[in-house]
Amino acid sequence: MRVIVDRDRCEGNARCVLAAPEVFELRSDDQSYVLIEHPGEDLRPKVEEAARFCPRQAISLIEE
Amino acid sequence: MAQVSSLRIEDVDLANLDVFVQGRQHEIWRRLRAEEPIHWNPGNDRFIPFWSVTKYADLIAVSRDTTTYSSQQGISMAANPADPTTTVGAGKMMIITDPPRHVRLRRLVNKGFTPRATALLEPSVREITRKIIDDVAPRGSCDFVTDVAALLPLAVICEMMGIPQEDWPMMFELTNQGLGSEDPEYQTVPGSGPETAARSRREMFAYFARQAEERRRERRDDLVSVLVESDVDGESLSEEELLFFCQLLILAGNETTRNAISGGLLALFEHPEQRARLQHNPALLTTAVEEILRWTSPVAHMMRYVTRDTVLGGQPLRAGERVLLWYPSANRDEDVFPNANQFDVGRTPNEHIAFGIGEHFCLGASFARLELRVMFEMLLARLPDIAPAGPVDRLRSGFIGGIKHMPVQFTPQPASV
Repeated sequence: MRVIVDRDRCEGNARCVLAAPEVFELRSDDQSYVLIEHPGEDLRPKVEEAARFCPRQAISLIEE
Repeated sequence: MAQVSSLRIEDVDLANLDVFVQGRQHEIWRRLRAEEPIHWNPGNDRFIPFWSVTKYADLIAVSRDTTTYSSQQGISMAANPADPTTTVGAGKMMIITDPPRHVRLRRLVNKGFTPRATALLEPSVREITRKIIDDVAPRGSCDFVTDVAALLPLAVICEMMGIPQEDWPMMFELTNQGLGSEDPEYQTVPGSGPETAARSRREMFAYFARQAEERRRERRDDLVSVLVESDVDGESLSEEELLFFCQLLILAGNETTRNAISGGLLALFEHPEQRARLQHNPALLTTAVEEILRWTSPVAHMMRYVTRDTVLGGQPLRAGERVLLWYPSANRDEDVFPNANQFDVGRTPNEHIAFGIGEHFCLGASFARLELRVMFEMLLARLPDIAPAGPVDRLRSGFIGGIKHMPVQFTPQPASV
C-alpha cells in the first residue's frame, strides 16, 4: 500500500494526523506530509480512517 | 407516547417550503431514509424536480465524484431554468465551479482559513463575543438571533474582508435578502424570491466594486486586497469573478454560523439534561460544538447536476437530472450515528458532514468551530439562566435551516469591566 497526499487539496485540517500520527505529520506550511510512504498492514485501519474522514478527500491509498 | 406519523410517502414534497417553516423536515427525512432513501421529488412552478438523497453513504459517494455530479448548474433547488438566480455564477463563483478551475480559485484564499490561521484569530473572536454579550447582558432579554447570534460571524467575516463597521448592518440585510429571498420578511420585491435575490446581488456587487477600487488605489491587509491582486493561471480574476468571490464570502461567512449558534442554543433549551451536563462540565464544549453542528446542519442541501447516466444507492439516475444532498438527514442517519435522533453533547465519535466533504468542503469550517466554541463558552458563563421567552420564527427556505427571531430572557448581568 502506498499513501499519497494531494498537495492541491490538502488544507491542513489534520484529521489524518488524528487518525494515524505514525503516518502523517502537519508541517508549518499547513500541509500534511507522509512519514511512511509504504505503511505496513498493521497500520492499514488507521490509514484507511485517515483517508475516509479527510474533509477534502485529499488522501489516496494505492494498492501495490 | 410515540407519535405515529400519518405522513404518506407519495405526499412527500420538499419543494414545498412550508415544510421548513413548520419544522416538519426531519420527520420527512426520517421516513425517506427508512423507506425510499433516494426519492423522486416532483417540481412546482418555482423548482424543477429533483432526487432527494438522504443517506450518509450516498451523500459521500456523490460528493467524491465531481465528474458525474457537477456543481456548475447551480447548487440549490432554486434551479428553475426560467430563473437564472442560481446558475448566474456558474464557473465564476467558487462554489458553483467544478475542478480543475475550482481548485485554482480556492487556492487564492485557502491559506487564510486553515486551522492554524484560524487559531490566530481567537483573541479577536473572544473580544468581539465579549462586546456582543456586554451589550445585551444588562437588558435581561433580547432577540437572540439579531442581537447575538448574527453579530459574531458578521463581524468576523467583515473584519477579514476589511469592510468598515458602519456597513455591517447593510451586509446583514443584503445577506438575508440573498439567502432568505423566499421569505416574505426579507423580500424587497414582494412575492418574488428570484428578483429579491438578484437585487441583493446587484447591490452587493456595486458595493464591492467600490471596495475593490479603493484597494487598487491603496492595498490593505484584507481579503479584498488579496482577491484584487490575485493570479490564477497567469491571469487575474475578472471583475465579475472578484465580485462573486466577495459575495460568496459574505453570504457563506455569516448566514451559516448564525444558524448554528441560534439552532444550538435552541437544542440546549429543548434538551435541559444535556444543557445541565454541559454547564456542569465545560470540558464537554468541544464535543458539544460538534454535536450542535450535526444537529443543526445549517446548510440544508447542496444540489448537483448528473452529467452522465449512473446508479446511486441502487437507484438509476439519468444525465440531466438533479440530486439534492440533504445534510441534516445524513447527519441523523441511523446506520451511522447510534441513537441518531438524540442530542448528546458528549457524542464520540461524531463524523458528521455538516460542512460537506471533498472538493467543496466548507472553507470556513475552522472559523465556524472557533466562533461556536467561544460563543457557547462565554454565553453559558455570562448568562447561565438564559431561557426562551417565546416561540422561534423559522426562515422560509429549503436551503438554509434558519431561525429569523428567537426571543430569550435571563437575569440581567452587568457588562464586563
